[in-house]
Amino acid sequence: MNSNVKKRLYFFLVSIITTLVIGKFVFDSLKINSVYFFSPTDLKNINEIPNGLIRVGGMIKIKSLSKKGNQYSFIVTDFKNEIMVNYTGIKPNLFEEGQGAVVEGKLNTRTNLVATKILAKHDENYMPKEVADALKKTGNWKKNYGK
Amino acid sequence: MASNVANIILILSIFFSFLSNLSFLKKKTQLSIRLFNFSSFLVIISFLLLIFYFSSSNFSISAVYENSHTLKPFFYKLSGTWGNHEGSLLLFILIVGLYGTLFSYIYNGNIKFKSWVIFFQNNIYLIFLIFLIVKSNPFDLIVPTPNEGLGLNPILQDPLLVVHPPFLYLGYVGFSLTLSLVLAAIITKQLDSTWAKISWPWVVLSWVFLTIGISLGSIWAYYELGWGGYWFWDPVENASLMPWLASTALIHSLLVLKIKNKMQNWTALLAIMTFSLSLLGTFLVRSGILNSVHAFANDPDRGVFILVIIFFITTASLLIYIFCSSNTSNNKISFFSKENFLNINNLFLLFFLFIILLGTIYPIIFSAFGETISIGPDYYNTILAPFIFIFLIAMTIGPILKWTRNIGLKDIYFLCVIFFTALIISFLIIFFTKRNELILYLGLASSLVLILTILFEIYKIRYKINTINFSRLCSHLGVGVFILSVFLNSYFSKTKDFEIQTGEIKQFDNLSLNLANTNIYKINNYLEMKTDFEIVDGDKIFTLKPSIRRYFQPNQITSETSIKPTLLSNHYLVINFPDLNSKVIGARYYYNFFIHGIWFGLLLIIFGGILSVFKKRI
Repeated sequence: MNSNVKKRLYFFLVSIITTLVIGKFVFDSLKINSVYFFSPTDLKNINEIPNGLIRVGGMIKIKSLSKKGNQYSFIVTDFKNEIMVNYTGIKPNLFEEGQGAVVEGKLNTRTNLVATKILAKHDENYMPKEVADALKKTGNWKKNYGK
Repeated sequence: MASNVANIILILSIFFSFLSNLSFLKKKTQLSIRLFNFSSFLVIISFLLLIFYFSSSNFSISAVYENSHTLKPFFYKLSGTWGNHEGSLLLFILIVGLYGTLFSYIYNGNIKFKSWVIFFQNNIYLIFLIFLIVKSNPFDLIVPTPNEGLGLNPILQDPLLVVHPPFLYLGYVGFSLTLSLVLAAIITKQLDSTWAKISWPWVVLSWVFLTIGISLGSIWAYYELGWGGYWFWDPVENASLMPWLASTALIHSLLVLKIKNKMQNWTALLAIMTFSLSLLGTFLVRSGILNSVHAFANDPDRGVFILVIIFFITTASLLIYIFCSSNTSNNKISFFSKENFLNINNLFLLFFLFIILLGTIYPIIFSAFGETISIGPDYYNTILAPFIFIFLIAMTIGPILKWTRNIGLKDIYFLCVIFFTALIISFLIIFFTKRNELILYLGLASSLVLILTILFEIYKIRYKINTINFSRLCSHLGVGVFILSVFLNSYFSKTKDFEIQTGEIKQFDNLSLNLANTNIYKINNYLEMKTDFEIVDGDKIFTLKPSIRRYFQPNQITSETSIKPTLLSNHYLVINFPDLNSKVIGARYYYNFFIHGIWFGLLLIIFGGILSVFKKRI
């Protein structure tokens, strides 16, 4: 074989292998760091409960918010199913009963989430897009929720 | 009535821009350039009119009604002009025109080349002008005229944000001229080192503006959002970082073209890519596909329109490249040569770009299938970190190599000493702070290698001021300082959440926080709760005054952070409103280590760029 052809062949092989290795690395990392969004109804319907970080969104059920020191517990509902959330930390402003919210954390059981983050909102009319979609799915979307 | 004048001016500018195209095709080159300049002058007039309407709160214009309010301070009424979709698009067009006009006044070389540049610039300009008139006219009226406006998002009411968008646009849009320059050079067959010398200041100028724009956004996010950080891998931030990476790669391949007359095709492709990514950034940010403070318009039609424009401009540029570019033979170069390291630099930058692009559009692709996901910042950190080390090492070795030739024995000796020193310093840092983390060690070592090499270079050539490439040294030193600070900051910063009442004292490590005072004021268009925290840090005593505001129009809450800079760090405090019927205030304290280094690094990078723009051409 011509030495130039050989060189090119090696170059080709090495680049293919490098690309594959890096590609696998990248996509694995992408998968690990993907945070999926669920509505309480979604969580009820899925077969296997996810064990990584997830986000759950819906409305904060009226009269469900209770506080003990800096530990909060409340119920997130899409008016069909609901999930109990525990959160330790500082409550964001505008996080109130009857408002839409998205929380991030890990599932304890199918109906209990330990939240590590409550996603901050900037204004009271703002409805997280995911929550709006989830409410539309269960048919509980009201026009005055969003802007 | 008022808006009629403005509309007529805009339509006239379309007309003249169109005439400019016609006269170019009729080979009346001087006339076509003049027509283009006149058209861009008209757009400047219309923009001044829009500024006037905003500052005089003329609510008969719907853009003013939707984004302004009589209670707003005058300064922010003014900046409201570009704090919305329509106004910012008009600014975008104004800058496309401005770059073209400036080029036509400054460049006095080959008239054929010049007229082609203006021709391409004019067409980019025309496309966006038509989009403006058809889909997002800033002078649309609202009937009947409302008495009061809806207000501008309060977190956008900040002096930094008044200048952030114009700088960002001066960067993004500057690359339209880069694209025009490349296309004109391809058609007139002069994509060579002379061309690279002409284009150099324009490309670097846009790059400097983009860097300033991104930095300003980052500084704003740091003190205004109250999240304690300076970069969140938010899709909107990524959208600006992608054209930055592409243009950084472009500058380096342009350097090879300028000095060795090589890498023509690669340079052309990078120029096309840079402007396409700038447009993609505009699309991602403005279409409302991403949920953020930047997303003005939730009108899907506009998004589709911008996508069509991106597709059209990119395809047209690529077709011109494919059919008109001349073949160039590539000379052989050895592995340890400057060119090759610039190649490697290019590949790395494009790899970073690809990773960020993937992370940014992955959730968008998923949303097309009805799934909602978001990508955590760890994705970027874990993938980019290992490659940053190799990148920094390549950045150290590359510049000290000679063009084309292999590495010399003296260089190897010199590099070994530096490597060894950097390894020892990082080891000492790790040892004394008891942080046995490999990533931290590699990060410190590789950025120190770069910093030390550059300092040594400056020391070695201090007598030959004329021959030094100050701009390169400055920017690269900036990158070294920046990465070093990023690592120090992310490993040695601390954060603490707590609840506190007036008069109470909280204690963490060596720090004690005492909430001395809480007062509520009613100011203009917001209610503000101000606090005084007395902080005792070892033997230092100081006061932090974080506050929180509730705006009435629109109804919204913003935190005003309070930051105390010390020699090596920032003490950073944010608070929340107390719960109803309670006096307990939630607060978050951040100890941000070495954050100054990050700003200083950025400053050096920008300063190096500015030096390069104004350097005497060889």
